[in-house]
Amino acid sequence: MICHGCRNAPRFRCILLQVPDRVFPTLSPGFDWRADSLDWPVTTDVGPGLAGVIATGTRVMWLDPSSGRLAYRGVPVASLAAAPDFERVAFLLITGMASEEDSQSWERFRHNLRSSRRLPPDVVALVRDLDPTTHPTRSLRAGISALGCHELSVDDDISGDRHWRELRIVGQVAALVGEIVRHRRGAAAAGGCESEGSLAEELLCAISGCTPERDDIRTLDLLWVLYAAHGLDAPTFTSMVVASCLADPYTNVVAGLSALRGWRQGGAGEAVLDQLLDRSDPGEAEKWVREKLASGSSIAGFGHPDYRMPDPRVVILRQTAASLASRKGRGELFEIARTIEQAATRELAPRGVHINVNFYGALLFHLLGADPPLAPCLIAIARMAGLVALVREGLDGIRLYRPLSRYVGAAPRSIDRGGQP
Amino acid sequence: MIGSAPVDARQTYGRGLESLVVGDTAISTIDGNRGRLAYRGYDVEELAARVTFEEVTYLVLFGDLPDASQLEEWRREQIRWRQPPQAAFDALRRVPTRSHPMTQYRTMLTVAACHIPEPENNEMDAQWRRPARILSWTAALAAAAIRHLQGLEPVPPDHGLGFAANFLFQVLGSRPSPEEERAFDASLIVQAEHGLHAAAFAALVVISTGADLGSAVLAGMGALSGERHGGANQLAFQMLAGLDGPDHARIWAREAVARGHRFPGFGHRVYKCPDPRVRVLEPHARALLASHYREDLWHSYLALRDEVESALGPKGVHANVDSITGLVYHPIGLPPSAFPIPFSLAIQTGWMAHCLEYLPDGKMMSPGAVYVG
Repeated sequence: MICHGCRNAPRFRCILLQVPDRVFPTLSPGFDWRADSLDWPVTTDVGPGLAGVIATGTRVMWLDPSSGRLAYRGVPVASLAAAPDFERVAFLLITGMASEEDSQSWERFRHNLRSSRRLPPDVVALVRDLDPTTHPTRSLRAGISALGCHELSVDDDISGDRHWRELRIVGQVAALVGEIVRHRRGAAAAGGCESEGSLAEELLCAISGCTPERDDIRTLDLLWVLYAAHGLDAPTFTSMVVASCLADPYTNVVAGLSALRGWRQGGAGEAVLDQLLDRSDPGEAEKWVREKLASGSSIAGFGHPDYRMPDPRVVILRQTAASLASRKGRGELFEIARTIEQAATRELAPRGVHINVNFYGALLFHLLGADPPLAPCLIAIARMAGLVALVREGLDGIRLYRPLSRYVGAAPRSIDRGGQP
Repeated sequence: MIGSAPVDARQTYGRGLESLVVGDTAISTIDGNRGRLAYRGYDVEELAARVTFEEVTYLVLFGDLPDASQLEEWRREQIRWRQPPQAAFDALRRVPTRSHPMTQYRTMLTVAACHIPEPENNEMDAQWRRPARILSWTAALAAAAIRHLQGLEPVPPDHGLGFAANFLFQVLGSRPSPEEERAFDASLIVQAEHGLHAAAFAALVVISTGADLGSAVLAGMGALSGERHGGANQLAFQMLAGLDGPDHARIWAREAVARGHRFPGFGHRVYKCPDPRVRVLEPHARALLASHYREDLWHSYLALRDEVESALGPKGVHANVDSITGLVYHPIGLPPSAFPIPFSLAIQTGWMAHCLEYLPDGKMMSPGAVYVG
């Protein structure tokens, strides 16, 4: 297997895809692969759950199937994580440009991103009409849907002028989550004041009610950078299917949010926190892991539909969690997490089940002040950047997603003959 | 069933997963070359002529037509859910009156989903309890959304009426004529299920994550609202209504064909022959338009269809169901922007059936992308 010129990301080893005869060899399921070009139709091995299926070609991100390394637009995520700035990463993912490359566009993008946080008062009111104990993912979905009503009139073309709307969604989702957080803790609404702070700064302010520390802002930015895009995860793929029908962007996002919290998705970190916060000390945690696994149950934060290796983002998150926990005086919680990780890894790694990004990701969200049900929403803010980038990209040369199924049901029959053929 | 079925190991497919076989299904079969659509073995022509939409929903979801007592129980279960939470109606106060009814309807559903009167539980038995509630809530909320567009208050349900008649009652504020009810019911029946079209596929992706059935339906509805999909019946009707009689329709269509225009409501990814659903609905549309003195629309439709099909028919382009449903909904009194809604009410039956069929052992859908940067 050789590598055809890796123009944009020379640091990566390339896997070969035999493009000329358009036959793609057996590929590890679920991962992103690499090719010089993608000419339809393609031939691949197909497993249950569409494993091995190529749904699209993308320039947005690449996952190295052998090491699990992740790159956004050819830039390794590890280097983006060194000086994390979620807004710049959103710009990179959505426009394909580095913020240094075109500072004018970047300034405009950041201005639009931040000013899109001014939500229509009716949308805030709709979210605040809901019971504060409503699950935040459901409130967020309702809020985004209501926003879509404000953005799309019956007099518009149904598909509308979509491009400028999509850019705003990242900021709008962040603002809505902020409002949901305030509503949950019984604080007044932000009131749509023009704000100067970054998305991370504002959200931490919504969570704690006071000006956040620099380290906390950096940690949230880091989390969002690492969560910004990850191949065709369920919310992203759902949005792409919906977008292929030329639905308006808010509809895509409502559909994507519907796929956010399924239990097979791991509840997007929520389940991790539920299990972590129930443990009293490391000794008890270790015993709990043993009993849990002996009874055939799974541990939240372990396993991934595709990964057969530890997720490399975990290393960065573990370090960050250790230092943040000690700074917040929650070293005990980190010790419990570490014990669960070690005990579970001992048991599960031989079976090919490894720790995933949600394990320490959810712990970090909690250390930043978020209670467990908020974890999926905080992940959703980050994921909007990758989702919007992939959906926008997919709109060029778009084709309706319409696969087939094979009929194995009843033979032709008629009502007259009592249902007999 | 669909998730665990052996799929051919090596498959060739195109953009948009065209011709990829995702798995097995026992729900419906579509013959795109001979123009046949059958739910669980029954042709839609026969179903539309002989049974009601409630019976068809039972058939599509549970696999067989109900007997008298099963039907009675199914109707009772649906009637039980005809009053969605008040909060969902109140949400209409928070959205602009002139927003698209599909988006208002979607917002009401997302708010209703915050008020489901049972604990969160996505076990199979809980999922199976949901279709009746989803069918009834969506109908009531959709009717309220359509009335809101006209500045009218919601109408409470009439429990003496069946699904189709009650929906029209809640939209129009008066009972439909038997002819209108029958035509509307037929339109729901022929649109109740259509294989793994994009919206059903979106629903399937969502349910495969372990989400609840209502979330899957919301995703399907999103796909449906796109102009390529459910929005096509609105666009097809607006095209037709903009034509000034059959002669104009012919001339315009001829020119439009010549410049390669894409006609909304014509051509279909699966049907390369006349659409069987059009055959079912044409007599209903014709009779309704005649009794509302709108024969001109019928003749424009015929002229347009003949012109387009004679030019593009050899290429497999024929009138599809979206070109005819508007001609049923318009004389009944629905505004064009609401045309996608009955389609959505009907076809969510099929999405739910696919989801419930996929759930028992279906794996989470996780296709990949190839990096070409």
